[in-house]
Amino acid sequence: MASRELIKYDNSPALKLLKLLTPLFLTVYLIWTLLPLFIMVMASMKDLLDAFDTPKTGDWAGVAMFFDFTPTFKHYYVLFAENNFGIYLMNSLIASLGSAVVAVTLGSMAAYSLARMEFRGKKDLLFWIISTRMAPMVAVTVPLYAIFRSLDLVGTLPGLILAFTTFNLPFAIWILKGFFENVPYAIEEAAQLDGCTRFQAFLMIVPLVAPGVGAFLVLCILFAWNDFLFATIIGSGGAKTLPAATKELVQPQNIDWGKIMAAGVITTAPMIPLGLLVRRYLVAGLTMGAVRE
Amino acid sequence: MSGENVKKRHPVFTSDAWGFQANERKPGPLNKQPSKRFFVYLMAPAIALLAAITIYPFLWLIYMSLHKVKLGPAPDKWVGLQNYVKLFTDAKYLDGWVLLAKYSGLCLSFEIVIGVALAVILNQSKYEKPLVTLFLMPMMVSPVVAGLLWFYLYNGTFGWYHWLFESLGWLGGASILGRPETALYGIVIVDIWQWTPLITLITLAGLKRVPQDQLEASMVDGSSPIRNFFSVSLPNIYPFLLIAILLRFMDNFRFIDAILALTGGGPADSTKVLPVYLFDVSFKFFKLGRGGAIAVTLLLVTIILGMILVRIFEDPARKQAMSADD
Repeated sequence: MASRELIKYDNSPALKLLKLLTPLFLTVYLIWTLLPLFIMVMASMKDLLDAFDTPKTGDWAGVAMFFDFTPTFKHYYVLFAENNFGIYLMNSLIASLGSAVVAVTLGSMAAYSLARMEFRGKKDLLFWIISTRMAPMVAVTVPLYAIFRSLDLVGTLPGLILAFTTFNLPFAIWILKGFFENVPYAIEEAAQLDGCTRFQAFLMIVPLVAPGVGAFLVLCILFAWNDFLFATIIGSGGAKTLPAATKELVQPQNIDWGKIMAAGVITTAPMIPLGLLVRRYLVAGLTMGAVRE
Repeated sequence: MSGENVKKRHPVFTSDAWGFQANERKPGPLNKQPSKRFFVYLMAPAIALLAAITIYPFLWLIYMSLHKVKLGPAPDKWVGLQNYVKLFTDAKYLDGWVLLAKYSGLCLSFEIVIGVALAVILNQSKYEKPLVTLFLMPMMVSPVVAGLLWFYLYNGTFGWYHWLFESLGWLGGASILGRPETALYGIVIVDIWQWTPLITLITLAGLKRVPQDQLEASMVDGSSPIRNFFSVSLPNIYPFLLIAILLRFMDNFRFIDAILALTGGGPADSTKVLPVYLFDVSFKFFKLGRGGAIAVTLLLVTIILGMILVRIFEDPARKQAMSADD
């Protein structure tokens, strides 16, 4: 923050060069970040296969070809009208929201207890919780599939919600624990002095943590929505979500790029505003609370 | 009374839940022995659910790794540690580790260099906020969609990035994913695109906490901004970087979505990092016993990495360094 005002550059040539290169670096990085997304959106509106052709090698002027097409929303229409993307969208919505709600509700209760209670073996319990979150998903998919199949949960939305909860619940517990620890205990003490029960005292601090809890709910939605492995293996059949359905559009032959890119846009579009909405909590969320802004 | 005044006066509202006024006050004099039962009840549903969906599969995994698992009605055959012993002679398994290390190493070195450079530049920039917002966007993309998007960009006939690489004379005809020599770089590029912003965000959080007095002292001593960075800022952001590195490293174990969409492990197994190999063994060849053994070894390594990470989380020196500015 204040560092900006404090640092005064001297005028050595190396620094001058660095200063000149800075905007260049930022511009290049900005293009590098946004260009793939831009191409995805553009390609999703290209109909004919000709529109997908690239110019001859080294023909720099040929870049104009990229813009040479008549925009159409045909792919979006086809995805919803013929490929059941409406259903997949609903599946994605229900599964990610469901798992987020389960994870955050149970998670905040557990996190609150872990933040307030000291007991032997607490460290081990916490490590176990975080380790379930870190486990490689491929490693647990097979047994999870076997268990879910014996319970008739494969290909159902409850099954998918439960599968997503395997990574969202430990996340919620771990991150909300850190969150509750920063709420002064004095508030509950005062509430209890005023005659509240323990549970009422807990409810008393809920409004205080609500923004954070809401943000982590959104992050849980994001993680579940973007998941592919569980969605494709546990959800296969009756509970296909958008990422799994998008991947299935890739056929060995005659890949319809426009359609795939449109599906990619449908999958990505809701998540970008959501992610930016919880911008303030993003770093904490993605580092399991180790780093906060 | 306006809401603003309430906020200022009331201690409850002034303590930002995310600030670092850590609550040193544990159950106090009013409540010497808070009823543990209440907490246990509150905690029980989550712990029970988590145990059911993690411990049970884990035990199942160990069971599978000790058996020759039959897919039909025939009972599984106990084989002891044979599945594990076989791994030592399984070239693809060993290559999987090497490739995983190579892949993670390549991704991380690029992401750290670019990510830190970007953070340092952004920290001095007027446009920090809007730029960070734009830079974040790839992280929101579902990894499998990112994989498919780049699969298209790399495509030998239709891909614009392929055309760009060709026009720059970088590739000799084949698509970057088409040749074993270049395919790994193809998937590394996608990872860099998607996850460099995470390193930038973490580094930025660290840079905001570099103690001003140290920077000033160093400047008074006449050191250049570059020197300043290496001798003052870098040591201070080091714990942040360490966490970033470990997290990214573990994510490379966890997520194979993008690789599955891009190459599926090919060509000629050149991108078959261990988790992808595990995916093949379990879901393509249905060798569930061997898959179980691979999964257990993968889990063990992850747990060791996780222990290191948690130790850093809880290191008091780190905690102090990371909360210094509040």
